[in-house]
Amino acid sequence: MSMHPLHLLSWARTWALAGAFALALAPVPAPGSQPAAATRRPAVGAPGASGETQPSRSKDSVRFAVIGDSGTGGQSQYDVGARLAGSLQAFPFEFVLMLGDNIYGSERPQDFVLKFEKPYAEILARKIPFYASLGNHDDPNQRFYQPFNMNGKRFYSFTKKGARFFALDSNYMDKDQQDWLARELEGSHDRWKIAFFHHPLYSSGARHGSEVDLRDIVEPLFQKYRVGVVFAGHEHFYERLKPQHGIHYFTSGGAAKLRAGNIRPGPLTAKGFDSDYSYMLVEIDGEQMHFQTLSRRGQLVDSGTITPEAVNSSSQPGGAEP
Amino acid sequence: MHWSAWTARLALVSAFAIASPSAAQSPPAGVNPTGAAVLAFQKRVADYVKVHRQADGKVPSLAETNDPAKISEREVALGEAIRALRSGAQPGDVFCEEVRPVLIKVIHDDFAKRSAMDRKALVQELPAKMALTVNMTYPSKLPLATVPAKLLRALPDLPPELEYRIVGRSLLLRDVKANIVVDFVRDAVPTIPS
Repeated sequence: MSMHPLHLLSWARTWALAGAFALALAPVPAPGSQPAAATRRPAVGAPGASGETQPSRSKDSVRFAVIGDSGTGGQSQYDVGARLAGSLQAFPFEFVLMLGDNIYGSERPQDFVLKFEKPYAEILARKIPFYASLGNHDDPNQRFYQPFNMNGKRFYSFTKKGARFFALDSNYMDKDQQDWLARELEGSHDRWKIAFFHHPLYSSGARHGSEVDLRDIVEPLFQKYRVGVVFAGHEHFYERLKPQHGIHYFTSGGAAKLRAGNIRPGPLTAKGFDSDYSYMLVEIDGEQMHFQTLSRRGQLVDSGTITPEAVNSSSQPGGAEP
Repeated sequence: MHWSAWTARLALVSAFAIASPSAAQSPPAGVNPTGAAVLAFQKRVADYVKVHRQADGKVPSLAETNDPAKISEREVALGEAIRALRSGAQPGDVFCEEVRPVLIKVIHDDFAKRSAMDRKALVQELPAKMALTVNMTYPSKLPLATVPAKLLRALPDLPPELEYRIVGRSLLLRDVKANIVVDFVRDAVPTIPS
């Protein structure tokens, strides 16, 4: 039997949507069990190297990937690394944000090879830069490791085509860093201000939960200086939070570690995925930010668009705060 | 009030106190003993930073590098140079006797303000057991548990060479670039009822 290519595309989309919906409703496996996607569910569609990666929309956009809690050196990191490299075909991202826990355990020279250089060899070979933030498992001296592009700083910022990125060290939010952040944010007049760091200010994770302490200090700055989007890790799953005080929060800490069944869906969660490893792809196209979250098996877990109207509207309800 | 501003004002008062030979033992009348303890601590911190900088000048400078071996070699070399310069260092050399009760009170006060859930989450993150000695290398296999931001605000400021960390129930002073334990205070963190 043959099928018209357009019908085939439509069929694939329908099947992908059904799969994503099923994932959202899938029963949450017990902690410590094998990822459901690996044991219970067949791959949706027939994902090739790029899986269900949605193509980028514009050549002039800012395109980046997001990985968190990645540096285990285990098979899952290599699987996600391969999938991430595969996504390049459809979505040629220009850089990668690392949300901390970049190198777990020992940090001998060979660990940098096994836990970073090899899993992402294909991406590094294409000269795509990584920008790291520090997690609680990271020696702050990682800031001197050139491939992490931290310029010897625990916290730093950089700009890409009108989008300003702020990498924070959420392990140690001392006065110096707070002062620096306030100065940097005040001096930035970029359309998009994006912060990334390790500890999530909001989280529905049963293990860690929201970092209220940190939130009380940095969120007022984010609000005052109109930070629109925040990426964090630490929790070993994916969660998109309902916007809080007009800020879009994402937790993406499942690039090599998984805390299966750890999300306790509540008033914070817009979308949660804790049954397999995951990473994000993001595209800023002028006034819009498009995001997609993919699993290790190439399944599209979540996607959407953030518009400036939804960013930093101070009248927007803050939502529930645990 | 933040410690740095507070101690700056106190320093003026203490300038008179330092002129007195008995000033190091007990603060004179009119001087807040807590402020005096913090000043004594900051003096010892400054002394340590001099040692750190002296050691830093003896090892090759570190710029960004593609070679992680250079980073770890430098970290080890700096640690060894510091150990050589303070080979007789003892617990309490930096966390001096006067400041220890002050720090413990700050931590206890901080914990008292936290919800049971928050305290539990915080303690859960801490590396539980580690035999502590002055000048030891902080084990790279152990996480560097987050120091809660509000607690950091309440503790006396540190220069960039040093940072506070918590391991088990101990408060540590850690040399950031050398990755060594400079000093520690045992039982600084309150016990959490299970």
